[in-house]
Amino acid sequence: MSERILNIENLKVSFDTYAGEVEAVRGVSFHVNKGETLAIVGESGCGKSITVQSIMKLVPMPPGRLKEGTIEYLSTDITAYSDKKMQHLRGKEMSMIFQDPMTSLNPTMRIGQQILEGVKKHTGLKKKEAEEQIIRLLTDVGIPNPDKNMLRYPHMFSGGMRQRVMIAIALACNPKILFADEPTTALDVTTQAQILELMNALKEKFGTSIVLITHDLGIVARMADRVAVMYAGKIVETGSAHDIFYTPKHPYTFGLLKSLPSMDLSKETKLEIIPGTPASLINPPKGCSFADRCKYAMNVCNRLEPPENEISQGHAGSCWLLDERAPKVDLIKGEIL
Amino acid sequence: MSEILVDVKHLKKYFHISKNQILKAVDDISFTIEKGKTLGLVGESGCGKTTVGRTILRLYKPDGGKVIFKNQDIYALGKKGYRELTKQMQMIFQDPYASLNPRKTVGAIVGEGLDIHKLYQSKEERAKRIKELLALVGLNHEHSNRFPHEFSGGQRQRIGIARALSVNPEFIVCDEAISALDVSIQAQIINLLMKLQRELNLTYLFIAHDLSVVRYISDDVAVMYLGKIVEKSSSGELFKKPLHPYTKGLMAAVPLPDPINEKKRIHSILSGEVPSPINPPNGCRFYKRCQYRRDICLEKTPQLADTGNQHLVACHMVHAEQW
Ligand SMILES: Nc1ncnc2c1ncn2[C@@H]1O[C@H](COP(=O)(O)OP(=O)(O)OP(=O)(O)O)[C@@H](O)[C@H]1O
Ligand SMILES: Nc1ncnc2c1ncn2[C@@H]1O[C@H](COP(=O)(O)OP(=O)(O)OP(=O)(O)O)[C@@H](O)[C@H]1O
Ligand SMILES: [Mg+2]
Ligand SMILES: [Mg+2]
Repeated sequence: MSERILNIENLKVSFDTYAGEVEAVRGVSFHVNKGETLAIVGESGCGKSITVQSIMKLVPMPPGRLKEGTIEYLSTDITAYSDKKMQHLRGKEMSMIFQDPMTSLNPTMRIGQQILEGVKKHTGLKKKEAEEQIIRLLTDVGIPNPDKNMLRYPHMFSGGMRQRVMIAIALACNPKILFADEPTTALDVTTQAQILELMNALKEKFGTSIVLITHDLGIVARMADRVAVMYAGKIVETGSAHDIFYTPKHPYTFGLLKSLPSMDLSKETKLEIIPGTPASLINPPKGCSFADRCKYAMNVCNRLEPPENEISQGHAGSCWLLDERAPKVDLIKGEIL
Repeated sequence: MSEILVDVKHLKKYFHISKNQILKAVDDISFTIEKGKTLGLVGESGCGKTTVGRTILRLYKPDGGKVIFKNQDIYALGKKGYRELTKQMQMIFQDPYASLNPRKTVGAIVGEGLDIHKLYQSKEERAKRIKELLALVGLNHEHSNRFPHEFSGGQRQRIGIARALSVNPEFIVCDEAISALDVSIQAQIINLLMKLQRELNLTYLFIAHDLSVVRYISDDVAVMYLGKIVEKSSSGELFKKPLHPYTKGLMAAVPLPDPINEKKRIHSILSGEVPSPINPPNGCRFYKRCQYRRDICLEKTPQLADTGNQHLVACHMVHAEQW
């Protein structure tokens, strides 16, 4: 069996706001194996970033609040780790690439200096050795003339170069797990392809595990070994990339895949859409949160939350249609059989 | 014959960075768009797509060339003529947040165009129109009293779309109008834009970096590289048979939602970064990254020429093969 690097059980995170409690993450469980890429997909606002930020303990508390759940890193329970203890893990064991490289780089500090801070803190290398290490890193992420470029400021780099620098910082201490939150959304396709290739190369070379958040299903297909589909603060389906793309079982997953304009769709055909809007996270519905947008919704869906059903080894979904008592449906034809 | 609505001729837009540095963001670009059709515009970050859109709408002063819209030269229009024109040509901006006034409510933002062009008889009519516009883009009426920062990225983008539609324009430049949206909202907006096009015969210049969306929504597609158009043809033809080495590189880079094939495929046949558009070199601007380059590519700038079937391409090597 492959080694588990991360194990999350029943994670619940809320925000206390004037309007009430926003239940951003409502009982999420998943694991990440060593050297694999797990992709998390789902609608805007469904809790992807907060899930990952909670693991790294980057959610400001308050207003955030960890209500329930356990986070295990390499079989050690780190749920209650203090900020100080987390500092030893962050950067060295786990690191993160954020969506917007410009806001997460310090504009007044030279690139080399920013990487140096991380390297020195975690490795205890001397300045000279640390600098050599930085030049190696910048070369690894494909920045030309690293000795010159490490003296420049972030605004002198293009979007793609800045994202590479972010990756270099994230990798500075050779972490075992890398969280990448929409790492290429701001980039064009060719730069994106280069960044994704770089991430794959690192995975091969160092056996790094990657948790990748993206709304681009093409990227998921390219990168992911396994996929978790989130909806309104929960994981509704999880499986291998093959399971999710070729035999999706949750109507939401199916809807997501169908709303893509495939490369052979003609202009005369309308794109399939998922009607309606996502459920509110303040007082979320009692039953299945997707029920009021689901064309197969049954009475039970509005009353009771669907349990997780195993579909095949490693493929599971939370949907009442997967219950043996439910009518059989054909998701492709959109019919109840 | 169908009617040409927008005719762009030898358009140039240069930014003067410093005394001896000129950034040629748009460097001699020509194309036409027929009424009721969509031209897709694609290319790497910084190649000049937004600048093309802004210059066509006269939000930037051009450094050369003409734009003929409905048979009038828009750069020759006086103040009054230009105001009238802004009613017919609109833009949905790339950055939804920066383009919405943070101190105005959503209702005021969407109503602004109605006020400028006096598109209502009574206050009630104005309110009704705003309500209709918000509904059209999937926002509800209560949203009209809220401020832009209270919305998610996708919702802000829809406010920008409602604002552009408010004056019943004939031509809309959609600059990355849907890039920030997740797929299910993206599909809703694409369907909306296409429905409006069918019903109101709207014409679009559609700028985006998602090629599968561009392919789907566009009749014709133009590919830009460093301020120039390097290839242009019907959407179907371009995606079936890309000719320019850069276009081929772009297409290979698009990840497709099909894990079995996607994991086997080689994506980056394009290496290196886009060179700087400041004082660009003579000859082909793609030279440095091109795997087919020859000496002639350094010496002569390739011109956009028809390879047959209205498929235009600017590449010495492609044309050499044709001989
Ligand atoms: N500080 C906060 N106060 C209140 N609610 C918050 C706060 N931060 C996040 N939320 C809410 O938590 C939910 C989950 O947010 P999260 O950022 O994880 O979404 P996401 O899935 O990453 O979405 P996106 O794809 O748009 O990035 C959202 O509905 C959001 O409105
Ligand atoms: N106001 C300005 N002053 C100086 N340079 C500018 C200005 N606006 C754009 N540029 C430069 O002109 C070039 C083209 O920019 P433009 O925004 O048109 O690119 P784009 O193709 O829209 O890129 P993206 O896909 O990143 O939006 C870039 O090199 C940019 O830095
Ligand atoms: Mg997020
Ligand atoms: Mg742009």
